Amino acid sequence: MSSVEVRNITKSFGRARALDDVSITFEDGGFFALLGPSGSGKTTLLRTIAGFSFPDTGTIRIGARNVEAVPVEKRDIGMMFQSYALFPNMSVADNVGFGLRVRRVGAAEERRRVAEALDLVQLGDKGGRMPHQLSGGQRQRVALARAIVTQPKVLLLDEPLSALDKTLRVDMQIELKRIQREVGITTIFVTHDQEEALTLSDRIGILRDGRIVQAGTPREVYDHPNSAFAATFLGEANWLPDAALEGLQLPGDRTRHRFAVRPEALTLTDGRPATGNALSARLEQRVFAGAMATCLVRVDGEPWKLVARDRDLPEMAPGSEVWVSWTPEDTLAVPREAAT
Amino acid sequence: MAEITAPEDRRRLVTLLSPAYLWLTLAVFLPLSAMLFFSFLTDLPQDAPDWGFTLENYLSFGESEVYATLLWKSLKLGVTVTFFCILIGYPCALVLARTIKGRARETLFLLVILPFWSNSLVRIFSWAIVLRGNGVLERGLEAVLPWDIRLNLMFTTHAVVIGLVHSYLPYVILTSYLALQAIDDDIVDAARSMGASTLTILRRLLLPLSLPGLLAGAVLVFVPVVGSFMEPRILGGRHGTYYGTVIEDQFVAVYNWPLGAALSFVLLAVVLLILGLSTPILRRART
Amino acid sequence: MRRPLLPLLGRAWLALILVFLYAPILVMAAMSFNASPFYQLPFEFSTRWYADMAMNPQIIEASLRSVGIALATMVIATALGTAASIALFRYDFPGKRVLQVLLFPPIAIPWLITGTAMLIFFFAIGIGRGTPAVLIGHVALALPYVIVTVSARLSSFDVTLEEAARALGADAWTVLRRVTLPWIAPGIVAGALFAFAVSFDQFVVSYFLAEPGDSTLPVLIYTAIRKGFTPEINAISTIIITVSMGIMFLATRKSSFGGSR
Repeated sequence: MSSVEVRNITKSFGRARALDDVSITFEDGGFFALLGPSGSGKTTLLRTIAGFSFPDTGTIRIGARNVEAVPVEKRDIGMMFQSYALFPNMSVADNVGFGLRVRRVGAAEERRRVAEALDLVQLGDKGGRMPHQLSGGQRQRVALARAIVTQPKVLLLDEPLSALDKTLRVDMQIELKRIQREVGITTIFVTHDQEEALTLSDRIGILRDGRIVQAGTPREVYDHPNSAFAATFLGEANWLPDAALEGLQLPGDRTRHRFAVRPEALTLTDGRPATGNALSARLEQRVFAGAMATCLVRVDGEPWKLVARDRDLPEMAPGSEVWVSWTPEDTLAVPREAAT
Repeated sequence: MAEITAPEDRRRLVTLLSPAYLWLTLAVFLPLSAMLFFSFLTDLPQDAPDWGFTLENYLSFGESEVYATLLWKSLKLGVTVTFFCILIGYPCALVLARTIKGRARETLFLLVILPFWSNSLVRIFSWAIVLRGNGVLERGLEAVLPWDIRLNLMFTTHAVVIGLVHSYLPYVILTSYLALQAIDDDIVDAARSMGASTLTILRRLLLPLSLPGLLAGAVLVFVPVVGSFMEPRILGGRHGTYYGTVIEDQFVAVYNWPLGAALSFVLLAVVLLILGLSTPILRRART
Repeated sequence: MRRPLLPLLGRAWLALILVFLYAPILVMAAMSFNASPFYQLPFEFSTRWYADMAMNPQIIEASLRSVGIALATMVIATALGTAASIALFRYDFPGKRVLQVLLFPPIAIPWLITGTAMLIFFFAIGIGRGTPAVLIGHVALALPYVIVTVSARLSSFDVTLEEAARALGADAWTVLRRVTLPWIAPGIVAGALFAFAVSFDQFVVSYFLAEPGDSTLPVLIYTAIRKGFTPEINAISTIIITVSMGIMFLATRKSSFGGSR
């Protein structure tokens, strides 16, 4: 296990700049999610760390070793692909044992470690199957076992769960987290699914246009986004209109910040509450979703969204005048210069 | 796609399908059946009123060593040509499918398979010009090398092999290329991430995964080469007697059609046997 | 590039193969413009052989016959093949697999066998040798190519388009004419070009089925080569290969055969 250090990496494809002076550290044993919209450079960054492409400038260090000029097959990494990329001509055991055979560990040692890895992903009895005989979730597990069986220094995951349906995805998230903890391997994980990033990782990096916009623990990034992009890409944000700021308690200087509130921090009432920040609004729609409900309201012409337990909401017809309120500490202050 | 239920659908189906398949029946399937029938005749009905049935045409195949020897010679030619087509063509398909990208790949691929769709007779003829004694190849080599060159390639088995490889090489490249480019890039990337060298990837992934395409190409080369007669005639000269040329002779020179039909039918049996043997491998690989 | 050796070797190999494939054709083309009848070097430019060729009634006659047969083959095979492709695509019926498999014998069986079998059969039923026999044979050989090409195009056709047209009140023939055919038009054009090329380049089957007196161009060339060839043959061969490569270039552009996905 090793930490991964990326320093001032740039990478261009023709005229397009895929990575623009990226620096980031992935701590030893951590579970790190790279989050961003498509085209943000997150996959390029992962493939550059893996060694499939080489940076134009900058350094990459895995453990104590500088690897920016080392090709992928010599970097000692484990990688899992969106398509799983299982070898269709090999059995499950041969797939998992491939990396060991390349490393010439010997037949007995290979058998032992393959069995161990398959047990870890709870497929101990499926070694003789061919990949096309497995379900999507099982293929996923084989791909994971194959990626970690060689005890690589770092595990790289390229949107590994996006091909699964929702319930299976949640199961696999839990499973992935368990195995990562058990093995203790440094893991870097690319995804465009914010919920997945929040659930799995202990650190998040948000990318946009080839740059890291913000990095930190999920809570830090969620509670203190440093840009409008980070605020809206991770979670949702209701922006306070400039005209409505008068009389509110705000955590920063209004010339240098814009302010926002998360949907779940808002309370909806029919009268003005006694304490906290409150704004008058018009209820436009209430969407029932079982335990929770979403309300769409308009504040000074701005569309806002509010999420609450359905039973906590007063019964009101669409079109009614209402109040939305929140405790002042829940206000997000986003620096203006970064707000685009 | 609709199940056939209404009678008007049935009528439309028959209207659309029958012209093509009647034509194929008239021009291919009935002739092949007729050939089997004729191969058991003593003489042509239109030539001799006293024609009858006989096994002699097939027996002569067994009695005279000539035909079996020539069939063996043709099969060996087929193996040789197929071997060289694979040896030359598979690496070419590999380069095209795995290392060249984008428009350049499409253009090069088109360039490689284009000759295959052009006139094969003319291409064989062009080799006759290149290979003939004191021809372009010898003169060209003389210009480069200091000593006298006497290749004497024309009218040898080598010339036949060169011409046939030239004719059928694009088949192997085409089928191998299609199989190779269908392999997901992620699979190769995955192997590399596990530390596999280029050679390991070739041996354990690319080759096994493209084997059906390679095999299809090999069959497509082998079968027509075993039945070739024009190429040996033009390029082989004295050495150009093969099973195919003997069949040709029965029809255009000796006029022993029943014997020709029997020889053709033996060839057809060999061809069908080879196609039959390769089908399960090709089918299994598709799953 | 990190390890430039292997890709470089690969490219060199590819270049060598292209030389192998095209060099003899180019040599032949060059020699058709060489004044010496015995292909003697040094090269001396002359269009004499093209002039000779144009004056040779046998070559002209055979050329016209070959083009005529190829055009007729193209029209018949395209019409029949397109109809069959549509039926094979549109309907499910017992025996459909068999019909699809039956397309392969004409392609897979060596033409020597098919050609001699046709010769025997056509004599037995009274068609005998000659241009009609050649045409029947060529259409049969071209049909599978047309069906395979048009079917490939059809497989990307969205059936719901037909259903939508039906829902809007179009009858079956209107749907075919206004929706289906326009979609598969590129496939039909490619199939037609394949058919033309299969016929125009066909030697083996023509060789057995053509009447010695009025042969097609490839048969004429074969006979001439065996008698000891003259540069006139170079000239007409160069023309043939230019025409057939040009047609196939167009056909591969139109169909997915060109390797694009």
